[in-house]
Amino acid sequence: MSAMKEVLISAKNLKKEFRTGETSQTIFENLDLDIYKGDFTIIMGASGAGKSTLMYSLSGMDRPTSGSIVFSGKEITKYNDDELAVFKRKNCGFVFQQIYLLEKMSLMDNVLTAGALCSDNKKEVIQRAKELFELVNIPEITQKKFSTQVSGGEAQRAGIVRAVINKPSVVFADEPTGALNSNNSEAVLNVFTKLHREGQSIIMVTHDKKTALRGNRVLYVRDGQIFGDCNLGNYVETDNERERKLDEFLTEMGW
Amino acid sequence: MKKIKSQLIYNLKKDKGSYISFGIVVLITAIMLNLAFVLLFQVDKAYDDKFNELNTAAINVTVPKLQNTDALLNDIKSLNGVDDAECREAVFAEAVVKDFRATDFSMNTLFYNKDESRNMNKLDIKEEKTGMTENSIYLPLYVASFGEFGLNDEIVYEIGDTKHTFKVSGIVEEMQYGNYGKGLMGAYLPKEVYEKFSDEYSEQTVVEYSIMTNGDINALQNDISDLLEEKGITMLTSCDRISTKDTRTMVCNLIILVLSAFAIIILFVSVFLCKFRISNSIEEDMVNMGVLKALGYTGNMIIAGVVLPYLMVTVFASLLGVAVSYAVLPGLGELLTLQAGFSFGLDFDIKGLICVVAILAVIVLFFTYTAAKRIRKLQPINAIRGNSEGKSAKKNYFPLDETKGKTKLLLVMKQTFSNGKQNILLFGVSFVLTILVAFASTMFYNVIIEPDNFISTLSEEMPQIIVSPVEQYEDVISDELKSNSEIKSVLKYTVGTVNIDDMPVTVFACEDFSRVSNDLCYLGENPDEKNEIALGSAFEEKYKIGDRIEIQNGDIPCSYEVTGFVQSVNYQGNVCEFSLDGYEALNSEKLVPTLYVYLNNASDTEKIIDEIEQSYSDKIVSTMNYQKMTETTQEMYSGITSVIVVVIFILTILIVLFVLYIVIKTLLVQRKQELGIYKAIGYSNKQLMVQMIGSFLPSSVVAVLLSSVLGLIYVPQINQLIFQTIGAMKNNMEVSFAFLMIFAFVQITANLIISILLTKPIKKISAYALIKEG
Repeated sequence: MSAMKEVLISAKNLKKEFRTGETSQTIFENLDLDIYKGDFTIIMGASGAGKSTLMYSLSGMDRPTSGSIVFSGKEITKYNDDELAVFKRKNCGFVFQQIYLLEKMSLMDNVLTAGALCSDNKKEVIQRAKELFELVNIPEITQKKFSTQVSGGEAQRAGIVRAVINKPSVVFADEPTGALNSNNSEAVLNVFTKLHREGQSIIMVTHDKKTALRGNRVLYVRDGQIFGDCNLGNYVETDNERERKLDEFLTEMGW
Repeated sequence: MKKIKSQLIYNLKKDKGSYISFGIVVLITAIMLNLAFVLLFQVDKAYDDKFNELNTAAINVTVPKLQNTDALLNDIKSLNGVDDAECREAVFAEAVVKDFRATDFSMNTLFYNKDESRNMNKLDIKEEKTGMTENSIYLPLYVASFGEFGLNDEIVYEIGDTKHTFKVSGIVEEMQYGNYGKGLMGAYLPKEVYEKFSDEYSEQTVVEYSIMTNGDINALQNDISDLLEEKGITMLTSCDRISTKDTRTMVCNLIILVLSAFAIIILFVSVFLCKFRISNSIEEDMVNMGVLKALGYTGNMIIAGVVLPYLMVTVFASLLGVAVSYAVLPGLGELLTLQAGFSFGLDFDIKGLICVVAILAVIVLFFTYTAAKRIRKLQPINAIRGNSEGKSAKKNYFPLDETKGKTKLLLVMKQTFSNGKQNILLFGVSFVLTILVAFASTMFYNVIIEPDNFISTLSEEMPQIIVSPVEQYEDVISDELKSNSEIKSVLKYTVGTVNIDDMPVTVFACEDFSRVSNDLCYLGENPDEKNEIALGSAFEEKYKIGDRIEIQNGDIPCSYEVTGFVQSVNYQGNVCEFSLDGYEALNSEKLVPTLYVYLNNASDTEKIIDEIEQSYSDKIVSTMNYQKMTETTQEMYSGITSVIVVVIFILTILIVLFVLYIVIKTLLVQRKQELGIYKAIGYSNKQLMVQMIGSFLPSSVVAVLLSSVLGLIYVPQINQLIFQTIGAMKNNMEVSFAFLMIFAFVQITANLIISILLTKPIKKISAYALIKEG
């Protein structure tokens, strides 16, 4: 089924090594991976397996030690810092576990700060931001608050709005519910599901099975390789079969 | 102490760059303060020591030998307050010293017999050539060093139309006269040379009375004046310890004033810097402080850990600054020796060192403690959670969805308003430093670009040529010169002396003061009629405009109405102005005024002098190239001013550099996460650099421009203050708006370049590192 889809990101022979003085640690090596357009890809793995490192390498946020990444037909591994910045603002949206909203700005301003990068039509950007805030259930009064004045869930949903304001090719989410309680997590995941259903490609790192169920494809990273690749199909809330399939996959992976 | 040692070392290591910058600003302050203190503590003492060593009289007056009586010495000795007195003969002459610093200097000179025994006003021979000649002369240190005369050099004194050429056989230090500002100099001739010389000028021989007193000098001077008046004796010259000291130490006092003002301004900058840094480091280290408190450290221990590094840096930088200042002192000492007319060594001064270190340490301690004391109120748990008033935003400035304008511009404005503290700091520092720059640029404009403004403030009338005609030819020459197309105007002008209130006062008499090039009158009007007089600033307290004043010259009494007040830096306000008729009324003989010649083109001076000398060889006594003298004075001041301007400008840029360094570094540390977020959402390095520079540069640009514009108001006041201290009640210094703007532009450009260089580390902030660290 995957073979029918358009490849959005293609990583070839990827290697990532961290050096500290004379010691080095290889996170992954000879890694090949294709990410498809429209997929909600979940990256799982044990702590320290390199799942976040892999995701950030694919997004251009971090540079691999060697290998190539072709993203939307562009080899981003050849880009310099500023070229990467321009590429990221058009193609990537990021959602972080720590949320990382700008503290001295309201939620709306956080979103418009990102929006200003890709459009000079301020009215249009504000209109889209309002629609997205509505989509993630953040009322106008909350939009004007600082991130320190709202709940973690609201802040994270605002973070998602910021990530998608420029209609990126992919939203990269690094354990977006890691710091949230279950109610807030649910609300945030619902937003991701909504976005996916609207055709948004998403890559999400998580170690939470419930979160992983939201994706249609689950990759398992182990020993510096994509150890397993599981196709779950699109998320349906009441589908127990998907959960069973994921359980089996994870057991097989040694989770 | 042991308990806070590790904290102290941690703080010092963590913020090395900021401490170094702060230390350099303190070092500059310490250099200036120590220079000021050493001058303050030592020059005055050196002056008094030398004064006492040479047993210099408190008052010296001269009277014509023809009027002197044998009993006068005893009469003076019997005056109340006189401890001792002695008298000696001298020749008093209005002389022109030729080739004095490559020009001709007009100087009232008293020629003494060097070999006559003296108990008072002793001479300290600094250099001497063995073997006398028939024209040997010993010059005072001031004439030798300032006039650029060395041993064996020839010096020509022109008295009337006679030129006397002497050979410099020695250089002496004396404390009786001093420098040109006093308007009176001494010259010392060996016995044989003096006798020959005094024979030639027997009519100009005077008797000098040197009077010692420990009492009130002014009161005694008045008593002496009364005594001489009673006896019908004219006092030709008078100088006293106070006014001589004021004149000789004027430049030194000015330097102390300027150095202290600079030091205060830079000190202001440094305390603001440390206060700013501490406030921010409390924000940055909030969690650590909370942990320390949770571990049981007291608030005072943590405060000590924050304050002590600044105190240590201050003490170290102060000591270093004091040491560095001693490298500058010999040069400064030489410059002052030249101006003060006596040599003195500036030695290590423990008092200065203690004052500098104590003042800086106390001020820094006070400001750092004030900034750090809120640590005491920190609740450990709140601190550990990073909750502080400063960290959380209070107001969302310029909401992007509600405010009209480009989002990127609004982002810059948001940052500007969100970071109020550093913008206030930058505004304050830039404003204050621009005052220095505005002052320096105005000095530069008036000394280098429009030198007449400066020179005319310090001088009296400034023609290009002064012609001394033979009696009866003044009108003929004047009329003929006026018809010369290269000559702009000719003015009959005379400089002389009268006694006012029994004190000798320099006279400026002119045929028409409305035509002078340098109007000295700062209050009221110049005299126009025969019975009018304008008095020098020294008389301003005693007389007011409209008062009548009786002046007696020998047997001729005249009454004048005071029309105004005039300034004179060179004679400390002891001057007056008459119309030519008015001055002539005081003289028994017909006055032969000199002719002040003003040219259309000053560069023609030499040529016109030649023409005048050729055309009127038998009708003139002498000509003087006054233009050259003006230029020499101007050159001297240009050099000093250029150095001052360059030093001020470099200091300003250096301080701006250090302030910006600390502010930008603080911003980079504080906003590291924010910048990482911006990068993560796609902002480029260039965008972030522009955004950051845009957030703080406007405050310094506005401050520089505002301060420069306000310079039109405050610079004249600063100039007024400074020039008044040296007796120039009205200064001709112009404030050029264009020049202020040029310097402001240079300053802004320098700020911009420094900002760009300092914000480059933004490139090193990686969004990924932020996520990894987070």
